[in-house]
Amino acid sequence: MAEVEETLKRIQGQKGVQGIIVANSEGIPIKSTLDNSSTVQYAGLIHQLVMKARSTIRDIDPQNDLTFMRVRSKKNEIMIAPDKDFFLIVIQNPSD
Amino acid sequence: MKKNSGCSSITSLTKTSSGSGLCQGTLTGNGYNQKENPEEQKRRNKDLIGKVRVFSISLKLFLHDGDAGSYLNILIYRDFSCSHILLVVDADGNDVTPRPLVCPVPGFQKSLDELFSSIPKLSRSSHTMCPTQDSLNAEIEDIFLGPTHPPPQLLKKGDDAEQHAREKMVGECDYISLTETKTITFLDIPPTITSVVDDDAEAAIQRNLSYAELCKSRTCSDKYIDRSMQTLNGALKNKLIQSEKTGTAGKGKTSMVATNWDIYDSFYKQNETFEGDEADHEEKSVSSKSNTTYIDRTISSLSEMEICGSILNPEPEPKKEILLPELLTNISRFMERTVVLNAFQAKLAAYRQPPISEGSDSMMKHGKHSEESLDPTLELLWAFTCQRTRGYCITSMAWNRHNPDILAVGYADFDSRCLKPGLICCWTIKNIMWPERVFDCHSSVTSLDFSTNDQLAVGMYDGTVAIYNICIQDSSVACVASSSKSSRRHLHPVWQVTWTPQRLSLEDVLVSVSSDGRIAKWSISSHNLDCTDLMWFRSNKECKEAAENLKKKKMVLSKPTAVCVDFHPMDFGIYLVGTQEGLIHKSSFSEGHSFLATYKKHIGSVNHIEWSPFSPDVFLSCSRDETVQMWKQGRPVMTFKSIHQGPVFFVKWSPNCSTLFGVVKEDQVELWDLILSILFPTIVHHAEPGVRLTSLLFARGTDCVLVGDSKGQVTVYKLRNFRVCKSTQVDTLDEIIQHATSRYF
Repeated sequence: MAEVEETLKRIQGQKGVQGIIVANSEGIPIKSTLDNSSTVQYAGLIHQLVMKARSTIRDIDPQNDLTFMRVRSKKNEIMIAPDKDFFLIVIQNPSD
Repeated sequence: MKKNSGCSSITSLTKTSSGSGLCQGTLTGNGYNQKENPEEQKRRNKDLIGKVRVFSISLKLFLHDGDAGSYLNILIYRDFSCSHILLVVDADGNDVTPRPLVCPVPGFQKSLDELFSSIPKLSRSSHTMCPTQDSLNAEIEDIFLGPTHPPPQLLKKGDDAEQHAREKMVGECDYISLTETKTITFLDIPPTITSVVDDDAEAAIQRNLSYAELCKSRTCSDKYIDRSMQTLNGALKNKLIQSEKTGTAGKGKTSMVATNWDIYDSFYKQNETFEGDEADHEEKSVSSKSNTTYIDRTISSLSEMEICGSILNPEPEPKKEILLPELLTNISRFMERTVVLNAFQAKLAAYRQPPISEGSDSMMKHGKHSEESLDPTLELLWAFTCQRTRGYCITSMAWNRHNPDILAVGYADFDSRCLKPGLICCWTIKNIMWPERVFDCHSSVTSLDFSTNDQLAVGMYDGTVAIYNICIQDSSVACVASSSKSSRRHLHPVWQVTWTPQRLSLEDVLVSVSSDGRIAKWSISSHNLDCTDLMWFRSNKECKEAAENLKKKKMVLSKPTAVCVDFHPMDFGIYLVGTQEGLIHKSSFSEGHSFLATYKKHIGSVNHIEWSPFSPDVFLSCSRDETVQMWKQGRPVMTFKSIHQGPVFFVKWSPNCSTLFGVVKEDQVELWDLILSILFPTIVHHAEPGVRLTSLLFARGTDCVLVGDSKGQVTVYKLRNFRVCKSTQVDTLDEIIQHATSRYF
């Protein structure tokens, strides 16, 4: 467990990383490095997006599953790694 | 009679003018019933004409001492079906109706007068409940039975009775309640249904048709006259039904959408559980549970999360204690890689870029700034370093043969001159900030090599040869075999381990070189390594002596020992051994102890030998005498000596280019490109002051070079502006050699 904490700490220390959110499978944030309102907002919206994406992939081929999602925008990039029970969101601005 | 101050009751038995025969009573100051106007009562009575006749009287009997607490309600119901119900209810609501001693005889009439005359009797003699009740029972029953003469008698009697009651029942409290009546149907003709194929069907259809005709003709015919009728609609009553919320599957917050994957999931899971498990209910619960969890996840209300968000806030302390479970390990690693890739994207792209062809190179030259030099340079990309490896000295590096992105680096701690534990780190290009695997070794690592089937052989300073499986994360389990239990193990530092393919076998064989004078070939047998000697330079006795010397910390190695070995890339089994006295021996597996050839050129100990990956007869050797020697077919053809003094520790051919090789001296790295010059190194890269450079590795497929130093850092450089290697590499090298030799000779 400490290993996971360490890994997240290292991610947080990377260049351009704005925030990390760990949320459970229902979209409720468990751990976050952002402020409360942003966390809740991100977790809720991204949860819906991930569910939709996952549903899409699995509808096309039920044996397939979503492993990673990246949403690149003008200002930053949101990386989402879904898992069976959790998903991890990292917001990074690589040009910083 | 005592008057009870608490109640101001009026008992009135009103009668109705229309003669419904309804007896009503109004009520007490206690508020049990509403006081009604006579008009309202009349209206109500009118409504009830012809429907039902109900008598309901409840009398409150007072005890003689005025005890207001105990009273009885006597309720009498009677309807047209001639059954009557007599209920006596006490203050607490218990049904204390006395059982009738006499069966009621219908049709027996008594006047109301008698009823009311009996009441004062009752009130006076109300000490004991039972007898009065019985008598009252009987009398009331008698009076009110018999439907034949109710209205006029009652009317008359009612008037008198009222006065009578008023006179007599001052101070008493009567309690009369109205209750809902039973619904009685007057006319009920249920429809008869016959099937069309029945025998009677014909007749029934005929009747229907004739009736329809009759209805049609009714309007114009004289037989029938239309007459309207008024039906009085009673006040409608609202009936409310309350039920529990009907639950849909999944606790009421699902959408009943069966998606493709959902069907697949439940089918798949059900199949699995069916095969493994016989309990039916378990299956269903599993599949329904998975269903619900999946469906539940599709909908999550934002309001829930806002609540949860606010819950998160006031607990900063417990938050720290929430440890993230191990499940997150995988995705966190993956995420780390991605984040790092993002951050170092330019550098990694430079690493991965294939060598630029000359045509595009010229275009790029025009595009870029003019002041950029066209000389070959080393461009720093990044450095593999982390907290754990700081302070260690890098002794060897090796690429994984399967996955060219994985790099194993061996760390040693030589500063303290004793057997300090070493480290092996497996780095990957995808995550340059943290090693993927960190293995602790009990001794300093002196050399590493990967085999073709992904086993990592490690040679250590204390003579142990171990094999690691890098797929396993745990350090203690990853070591699949070790030579520590072998009786013939090395007792001196192992300077080199190599894997070499065998002629008749698919697997590689492990060979190690140690300074106890032996070159050993190892075989793995269930976690233990056992060796056979390929070559030895000392007798056993000398070995033991040297071992004892070592234990007593006497670093005296006087006899010649092997320091390095290299196997021919093409010819199986032929190998070269470099010794401490500067001799290079060529031998093969089949030869055993004797040598095929010996090459003498070096003065100091030969530190490293390497066959050229392109040309079959060419190899390089470097030694302490500050020279690098190139040999072809056993004859030294070229000597490379740079201006800088210092023993050469390492020499390595570039796997991409036949004329490129790298040389590691203590404080600089030289890159020689023979096409450009055979006298001077093309690039000389100096180390930072205080840092010793110890190891060199070329990257396969890209023109990058990795340099390891004594600070635990592996720096990755890109070779910029180097000449592009053409396909016919062997010829190029041969040409150069020929040219060189012809020049010298």
